[in-house]
Amino acid sequence: MTATQNAPVPAGTTSPAPARVRDGRRRRRGGLGERLVPYLLILPTLVAVLVLLGWPTIQMLGISLRQLDLRELVTGKTVWIGFANYTATLSDPKFWSVALRTVVFTALLVAATLLVALVIALLMRHLNPVIRILVQISLVLAWAVPVIATTTVFQWIFDQQYGILNKTLDRLGFHSFIGYSWFSTGASTLAVIGLLVLWQAVPFVAFTLYAGLIGVPREQYEAAGIDGAGPWQTFRAVSWPAIRPILTMVTFLSVLWDFNMFGQVWAIRQGGPDGASTTLAILQYLKGIAGSHFGSAAAIATMMLVLLLLVTARYVQLLVRTKDGELA
Amino acid sequence: MKRSLAQRITLSVAGVLVALLFFFPTYWMFTTSLKTPGEVLSPKYDLIPTSATLTNFASALTKPGFVTYLGNSLIVTLAAVITALVVGVLAAIPLARFRFRGRKGFLLLILVAQLAPLSALFIPMYLLMRDLSLLNTLPSLLLVYFATSLPFTVWMLYGFVNGIPYDLEEAAMIDGCSRTGAFRRVTLPLLGPGLVTTSVFSFITAWNEFLFALVFMRDKSKQTLPVWLSSFKTAFSVDWGGVMAASVIYAIPALIFFLIVQRKLVSGMTAGAVKG
Amino acid sequence: MKRWLKLAAGAAAITLATAGCAGSGGGDNASGSGGSQGGTLTVWLMNGSAPASLTDALNKEFEAAHAGVKVNYQIQEWNGIQQKLTTALASDTPPDVIEIGNTQTPAFASQGVLTDLSGDVASLNGPQWLAGLKASGEFEGKTYGVPFYAANREVLYRKDMFAQAGIAAPPASDAEWLDDIAKLKAKFGSDKDFQPLYLPGQYWYALLSFIWDNGGDVAKADGKGFTSTLDSAGSKAGLEFYKQLVDASGTTAPKDNDEATPEQAGIYGGGKVAMFIGTPGEVATAAKTDPTIAGKTGAFPIPSKTAGQTAPVFLGGSNLVIPVNSKSPDLAKEYLKLLTSTKYMSQMAAAGYVPGASTDTSALDKDPLGSVMAKASKNGRAVPTSPKWGEVESGQNPLKDMLTAYLTGKKSLNQATADADTALDKIIGG
Repeated sequence: MTATQNAPVPAGTTSPAPARVRDGRRRRRGGLGERLVPYLLILPTLVAVLVLLGWPTIQMLGISLRQLDLRELVTGKTVWIGFANYTATLSDPKFWSVALRTVVFTALLVAATLLVALVIALLMRHLNPVIRILVQISLVLAWAVPVIATTTVFQWIFDQQYGILNKTLDRLGFHSFIGYSWFSTGASTLAVIGLLVLWQAVPFVAFTLYAGLIGVPREQYEAAGIDGAGPWQTFRAVSWPAIRPILTMVTFLSVLWDFNMFGQVWAIRQGGPDGASTTLAILQYLKGIAGSHFGSAAAIATMMLVLLLLVTARYVQLLVRTKDGELA
Repeated sequence: MKRSLAQRITLSVAGVLVALLFFFPTYWMFTTSLKTPGEVLSPKYDLIPTSATLTNFASALTKPGFVTYLGNSLIVTLAAVITALVVGVLAAIPLARFRFRGRKGFLLLILVAQLAPLSALFIPMYLLMRDLSLLNTLPSLLLVYFATSLPFTVWMLYGFVNGIPYDLEEAAMIDGCSRTGAFRRVTLPLLGPGLVTTSVFSFITAWNEFLFALVFMRDKSKQTLPVWLSSFKTAFSVDWGGVMAASVIYAIPALIFFLIVQRKLVSGMTAGAVKG
Repeated sequence: MKRWLKLAAGAAAITLATAGCAGSGGGDNASGSGGSQGGTLTVWLMNGSAPASLTDALNKEFEAAHAGVKVNYQIQEWNGIQQKLTTALASDTPPDVIEIGNTQTPAFASQGVLTDLSGDVASLNGPQWLAGLKASGEFEGKTYGVPFYAANREVLYRKDMFAQAGIAAPPASDAEWLDDIAKLKAKFGSDKDFQPLYLPGQYWYALLSFIWDNGGDVAKADGKGFTSTLDSAGSKAGLEFYKQLVDASGTTAPKDNDEATPEQAGIYGGGKVAMFIGTPGEVATAAKTDPTIAGKTGAFPIPSKTAGQTAPVFLGGSNLVIPVNSKSPDLAKEYLKLLTSTKYMSQMAAAGYVPGASTDTSALDKDPLGSVMAKASKNGRAVPTSPKWGEVESGQNPLKDMLTAYLTGKKSLNQATADADTALDKIIGG
């Protein structure tokens, strides 16, 4: 963190009550150098984001207007075909049902992730240290295990003939689960995929919420306790305001990840049975990568981006505004 | 806040249940790594393994190049995490503590940058690295992992810095600290939990990335562990026992990384307690 | 900010310009003339194809014969190979020799990214090429791929169980096969985990044999494109026989998954299965569970409905190609010449594969399982050589959905085949 040491951090003008005082102070010191400081600090991020993410994204938009198959890619020929990639995709009735399925799946998955993670985060806060570490290690392991291993292990657990789940259910007296296929319909396939994703996604969200929770000064809880507030009131009055911004943030992130998720959905049943668990990311893979039509792939990716922007626009607006609201 | 014994027991039981639930697939992966192909899926009821073989681990560890891949993975991942954290903290400070022209736009950029559809960007990214002559070098991967975790890092750290009352820094300054000193001594330690969650996230994302590592790195000697993990597959078969054993080995560094930063998480908490 | 943007725009222009001439950039060590005056020859073979002993000797011999040339040999992984090849071909210095799967070859050939080898067929041992593989390397009358190796499926069975059930000789026809299944069931059926034939529902490579055997096919070439023919009488008969096998055996294999999940050789290794359809190499996987099983395993070719004949089999395997951007195509051809020589092809046979460019399978014949495969490979066939077939396999395979729908009774035979035709036509249709 050498850079932090070199760059003096001036008094901010941003935190709630004593803002006026600091405003005055800043005006006194507000030379040109001082005013440049924030820009210098964000410069590395700005450059990195624009060059390493922005530029490839712009290129992707360009590619979506081109015919880019293997031939064009290798020879470097540029063939513009306007919006043909878009019209071809949009005229496919399957696209809309897949889009709807993706949105519903994402919404359910995000809601489940947040709920489970919130419960675990609250639980961790109240556990004794030994059990808390146990919980944390099991969470980290769930998160650290490579996706290829996880998806395979889930397939084995849910295997219809020899899976440990069906064998256990049978032992517990539910004999109808002998040879039961968890992947016979799209909905149940997606449910298994949902469990798999939940298992992988909850740890991060739970840790983040937990970090937010332990940031709350203890005395606030004590004060609530003295006022005679029950656990629910304490949660509403103390914990909730502390984690609300973090919750908004992880909601936003979870929406992005679940919406774009490919590996897990593909690995479990390749979007089957009969295409019934196909999501937009799968569609993009099928139309684009599997057939090396990078133009169509880029077009679908662009539409996913637009859809995602639409879904999150309200959110982004809210996020930016809330932050400012807090700052003002 | 004293809790009754019954409450504490209920909480502990719930905690253990959660731990078990989340541990089970990992456990299953581990026991599978001790099985032969015929035992992976068999009619036997084997919730607790009845026999164990270490051949899978032996075959995994004797795969050529393991140490090289491990080294590459560690270098790229750690470098990307550290770079992202440093650059991220730098950007998070002005976002949370300054009001400057373009701040909102920058915030928006950081948010929208997270929407970047990575899997669709691999062709443009490849072309970019080709034109920068970075293909087949570790820095190309470092850059990608750094870039993909940066917006997230900035956004998270911004939230965390924001959550730390400015009054604390101010109090330190009244006590004679410089502004930098105040930030370093007060805000940075309080950022502990935030830094930990963010770094664990970046670490695991980079640690598990496969596609870019595969496509950017021409030579075997420069590839990373996820690519190694896929080497258990041949045209006509997959050595699943080997994959599971390899996955167990593979998850260990991530676990160690967590255990190291875990202590920091605790110290971040104590700092929080002191401040409170 | 604005200046920076300008700079970025400039960089963009440069990028576009260079992107426009991929392949002309020139690597440091690429010798322009592609002659024999030195440089590096990059060779990519797939994981698990040629054994290390072969490639070590081959590369040494090649380097000795070409002074100053260094072979940069890299083993590639199957996961993500499509993306890896795609990007590598678009780079300034693509590899000079690549192994690609036979069903993927038409896709690459049709895109004009492979060197035309039509003039070199003779010097690359052309007359001995394996017919079923040869077709996959050809596109519009030109040759782009050199057959490397193939493997095909046969029925692997437990000799001891057959003996105990009183079966003297392996079945020589479909009818006998069904009879033997009944006999095995009668003998061992009291064990509820026993299955005479392990046959998962989506094993479409096995289905291909039955379809071809009954005179059907997946699709027929039709002018410029292909038309699916899964609803033809022959194809339907093949599908019906598949169901007959599944029903007769009472296999507990999943109807909605293929032979890889769960891995069928592992199940066979468990000792409760008398037969499965697979490649000889899978026995090694089974032997990891039960080392004695290899000695108890025999093989017979997939029976035909016509007694005395055997069913055609799908040839899975690889071709060798030279990317069109290769800097040293002549050296690459020299390399292919050496690799397709009888010496190295015999080593492929010894490694358990049907050699692609040599009819000498004596090394394979020494192994009883291998000899059955080698014989059946003469009757080997390929999937439609449509450039889009790769999409069928790497995407959602309509044949798999058809099998599941029909076997589970969700769709009638007519409905399942008609739907599969529609889905397949969407991908490979003209």
